[in-house]
Amino acid sequence: MSNRRVVVTGIGAITPLGNHPEMLFQNLMLGVSGIRYIEKVFVDTLDCKLAAWIEDFNPLNYFPKNKAATLDRTTQFSVAASKNAIEDAKLDLSNDDLTRYGVYLGSGMVGANSIEEGYRRLFVEQAKRFNPFTVLMSMNNAASGQVALDFGLLGPNITFCTACSSSAIAIGEAVKQIRHGYTDVMLAGGSESLLTQGTMKAWDALRALAREDKENPRASCKPFSLDRSGLILGEGAAMFVIEEMDRAIERGAHIYAEIIGYGTSNDSEHITQPTVDGQERAMQNALNDAGINGSEIDYINAHGTGTKLNDAVETEAIKSVIGYKTPVSSTKSMHGHLLGASSAVEFSVCLMAIKHQAIPPTANLSVPDPELDLDYVPNVGRENVKVETVMSNSFAFGGTSGVLIARKV
Amino acid sequence: METFEVLKEIIVEKFEKNPADITLDSTLETLEIDSLDVFDIIFEAEDKFEITVPNEDMTINTVGDVVSLIDRIRAEKK
Repeated sequence: MSNRRVVVTGIGAITPLGNHPEMLFQNLMLGVSGIRYIEKVFVDTLDCKLAAWIEDFNPLNYFPKNKAATLDRTTQFSVAASKNAIEDAKLDLSNDDLTRYGVYLGSGMVGANSIEEGYRRLFVEQAKRFNPFTVLMSMNNAASGQVALDFGLLGPNITFCTACSSSAIAIGEAVKQIRHGYTDVMLAGGSESLLTQGTMKAWDALRALAREDKENPRASCKPFSLDRSGLILGEGAAMFVIEEMDRAIERGAHIYAEIIGYGTSNDSEHITQPTVDGQERAMQNALNDAGINGSEIDYINAHGTGTKLNDAVETEAIKSVIGYKTPVSSTKSMHGHLLGASSAVEFSVCLMAIKHQAIPPTANLSVPDPELDLDYVPNVGRENVKVETVMSNSFAFGGTSGVLIARKV
Repeated sequence: METFEVLKEIIVEKFEKNPADITLDSTLETLEIDSLDVFDIIFEAEDKFEITVPNEDMTINTVGDVVSLIDRIRAEKK
């Protein structure tokens, strides 16, 4: 069973730049930023008042009113993205053996909104009781559980929580499930929504968030630029239908790409600081898994957070494993850092790059850093380029790196 | 206000039901209200009537059962 190949046949994305992977990609190609001021009452309490938040998501398009009220926004995004992915893949769940279907979902926090609302009631309003759904809304496996429940999936249902690499790990491990014959179809990806006062204050305190660009706040996240000062938080989700290749061909599914490589590694030096060695090993493990050389990669969607250290470390690691020539871009400059959902959203960008034979830019790269000397596709996307094999990098607090490689079929 | 009227309002609002379908004899099952939803209804009712429903064994099958429970607590409060 170990020779089974795995392909992507459906994509669903809920993002600050559109609730469809095509819309997201077109916006990125045009250099549109989803980063803007937070429109919430607590905005004045924040040092960083910017985020890539989603304005046009209506849960009532996906759930009845009473149901929506019992689901955290993270879970709402997860189910919505899954529904869109299933429709995109043209799967007929009513005529399939759902014991062969599973869901692997990555998220950093899942229930941030619900738990903060509970604490607000308790500590601020001095309420005596919690909403009876608080546990079910805030538990870390709420999102994957709801996806499995809503679509009747009967195979493995597991949540991966490795901070900013959560959804790369979820997708990579889902690939293994199919390769090794445990399942035939997986819904895999990630979701995150934690733009609450408490979480944002905590990120402020960590001093990892970007300073505001006073002239152009939307351009505050500047990966690989000399004037980079940190990341901007975002929210959203991307879910994929991935399935065994022969099955997909047999049912005449549209195939976006084959997932040919997955690599993970751990840094084990510091809880936040990445290491060149850890990132190199993750990329090399993914190349080994794919059975290809670094020179075969046509595009890398970088982790590229826009922090001083990440961008320098990642540049070194890419240089040693992949080389100098491969175009590398950080789309976080526009859609923000979606934390547990970032790998999934960025993997959707990689698949769109293959589909459109185009490479999205790194926005806001206005001052080249003499220490950083890769081709970062500065500010302007490229069309009509060969993009057959793509790599998506994700590195995380806690040390877990996750790298995915996909190839045009 | 009558307990039943308030509960009916909560159920209509929360579960988007037709008020005409809600009687004392309506079973929660036919209204597609599960055990968790009942806790949610009680949670709202506690606010509306300024009461606390203790965590005790309760048999609730119909809207009337919920009304009786709330009425009992309201009477005990007085």
